[in-house]
Amino acid sequence: MVVSLKNENSLVRFLRWIYAGVERTIFMGLKFTLPGRFVSPLGFLGMLTFVMFIILGITGALLMLFYEPELDRAWNSVQTINNAIPYGFHMRNIHYHASNAMVMLALLHMYYQYFSGRYKIRNEILWVTGILIGVLTILEAFTGYDIIFSERAELAISIAASLTNSIPVLGPQMREAFFGGGFHDFVLRFYAFHVFFLPIFLLGLMVVHFPRFLVFDVPMVMAISGAVMLTGGVFPVDLGTRFDPSTPPGITVPEWYLTGLYAFLRTMYDKFVTGVAWPGLFIFALLVVPFVDRYKKFSWKDRPLITAVGITSLAQIMVTTYWGFYIDPDIKKALLERLVIDPIFFYAVMLLLVPLSFGFTYMMIKLAKNAEANAKLRPKKPAGKKSINLSQRTIYIIFVALLIFQIYLNISAYYAVVSGMKNFSLFIIGIMMLVFAGMFHIYRHGRTMSKAPPPPPPSRAVTPPTARPTLVPPRPTPAPAATGEKPLAPPPVQKAGGAQESKSTTQPHMEAKAQSSSDIQTPNPTDKPDEDY
Amino acid sequence: MAQQTPPARGGKISRRDFLKLMAAAGTVLTFVPFVDWGKFLPNPSGKVAEKAKVELPDGTQANIKTFPVNSSKAVIYPKTNDNVLNKESFRTWQFIRLPEELGGTKNDVSSFRMYSMVCLHLWCLWKYWPDPGRKRGECPCHGSMYDPLTGKAFAGPASLQAPPSNVLARLDLESDTDGNIWIKPPNWSPNGNGVVGYGRFLKE
Repeated sequence: MVVSLKNENSLVRFLRWIYAGVERTIFMGLKFTLPGRFVSPLGFLGMLTFVMFIILGITGALLMLFYEPELDRAWNSVQTINNAIPYGFHMRNIHYHASNAMVMLALLHMYYQYFSGRYKIRNEILWVTGILIGVLTILEAFTGYDIIFSERAELAISIAASLTNSIPVLGPQMREAFFGGGFHDFVLRFYAFHVFFLPIFLLGLMVVHFPRFLVFDVPMVMAISGAVMLTGGVFPVDLGTRFDPSTPPGITVPEWYLTGLYAFLRTMYDKFVTGVAWPGLFIFALLVVPFVDRYKKFSWKDRPLITAVGITSLAQIMVTTYWGFYIDPDIKKALLERLVIDPIFFYAVMLLLVPLSFGFTYMMIKLAKNAEANAKLRPKKPAGKKSINLSQRTIYIIFVALLIFQIYLNISAYYAVVSGMKNFSLFIIGIMMLVFAGMFHIYRHGRTMSKAPPPPPPSRAVTPPTARPTLVPPRPTPAPAATGEKPLAPPPVQKAGGAQESKSTTQPHMEAKAQSSSDIQTPNPTDKPDEDY
Repeated sequence: MAQQTPPARGGKISRRDFLKLMAAAGTVLTFVPFVDWGKFLPNPSGKVAEKAKVELPDGTQANIKTFPVNSSKAVIYPKTNDNVLNKESFRTWQFIRLPEELGGTKNDVSSFRMYSMVCLHLWCLWKYWPDPGRKRGECPCHGSMYDPLTGKAFAGPASLQAPPSNVLARLDLESDTDGNIWIKPPNWSPNGNGVVGYGRFLKE
């Protein structure tokens, strides 16, 4: 891929040789794009989720070097990692916050695909595997915070085991099969699930879930990684209290992605219904959505019922998640009284959210359509308005300033480590990642500028429509068969493909657009680039 | 691109190369802090910065005045709060007071030796035999024998291994005015106190 290098030394020839060999592998089926300009991260939330998965894999593998999955040693070993092992605090915090980020990104990814209707057009397999991956991701995160074996972990395990037990007919057998006989087995098995079974299933499903068009946006990846580290520095995860069967546990709530479920359990209704059937129904509904959605169009505005159902689910998730966290602060009341949620009140609110969400959706669609109609009437704004034009000189100045800032951060990080301020050093390294994201963006911006042909007017006039093409003008009715059909990626682009070099410039986009092929940069019905992983 | 200056020529660095150079510098600066993260890998529980007691199995500190000549005890070093780790071979040391003919009657630390009990051959645990005619360290597995004066293997498979793998790791001792014996902070390298299970260069 580095064909533009002039000096062909042996290293370059070796790399070329490897690249030629890759042609025989499965990777040539993937079209891997490093965007040459800013693209909305909404289109590649899946890739960001995968990057989190990789970060979790690396930090998790490193944590395995010190974690001991044994009943009386698990918590202590986590304490050792957190307090005694150099950079153990960093690893643990990155692992924890990356797990949260992965769940959050996966949810955003799912809802973005849902509202943009991209589970259609033969993407059903991607959608279904995606839902399964999502469920496994939550289980993976759940087993992760259980194997610390703190008080909270023990409560979570007890809930998981009793929910499994509550399944009719096979429940008790399943419980024994999955959870084993007692605490010793719990820790060992949750560990095995966490580091082997679930990740291997996840990887297997990911092989199916990966679309052929992939976007790896370096600045966005670095920014997300930086945000994870920064969060770890500001909100370091605590150890909890070591589990001791003879002391009464305090009130704890599960991680945020399970408090919704916890709220249902707290209504003290039947365990199977609240803890297995309801979430099972939710997952089932998600699985069948692409087969139920019979709208011919893709945009959320054109699929009112589906959008309304999505909004309802979002509203209910938010309300139950918050409700699961909420515990009556009045300490004078009995523990049970503080914990139990009145089922009639709870379910009434859930039901009330349905008409509210439908009304809200109706209003949003009305507003959006009105705005669209108005935009059509108004004269077009000058197209280049949105792009920020900086002179070469300014870019260099910003770049050098960022470099100096980076040196300053390096020194700060060094002193933070030397004086043992772990969370501060993690925070600073997070900032450094963000600065790197900025630098990379400026670098690629500068590169694109220096590549641009000398007479500015034509390139200037042409570029903006690709940069911000479809958000402003009203969308022409799409021809779904031609656009976004991934399995039918047209040969011309494929042949040029592999040369991501060409993707990063502006010219090929224009050609691709002119051909109205299903090239990734072509606006598809949802107004976003078609890379959806 | 308001001012389209002609590209610099001759000797000067081109625009694109300058940009590349800055990008490279930025990348290096960003990832430099991660180099130090390599410290995560080694287990720090073997590192000891301060001198430690020679704690005999009965819990008392070894003392020059009371420890009998030509005898030995197994000592745990570095001792942790973890019973599992304390049972480790790699933390087991043979604390020896030399026999009389090797200078064991002198009332200073020179009459004491402390060697790793891990045999250099295949990591069995050897021990010191004070019987007349033996007075040496012997490994039960393949019969390697160690000289209590230097820790060097003089017979058996361990003696056939090339240096530094024929000399036992050793801890340096010191005593205070009461005769209590302490272990000095070790330098775990073949040229220092040696590496447990690997060996030490004998300096004469």
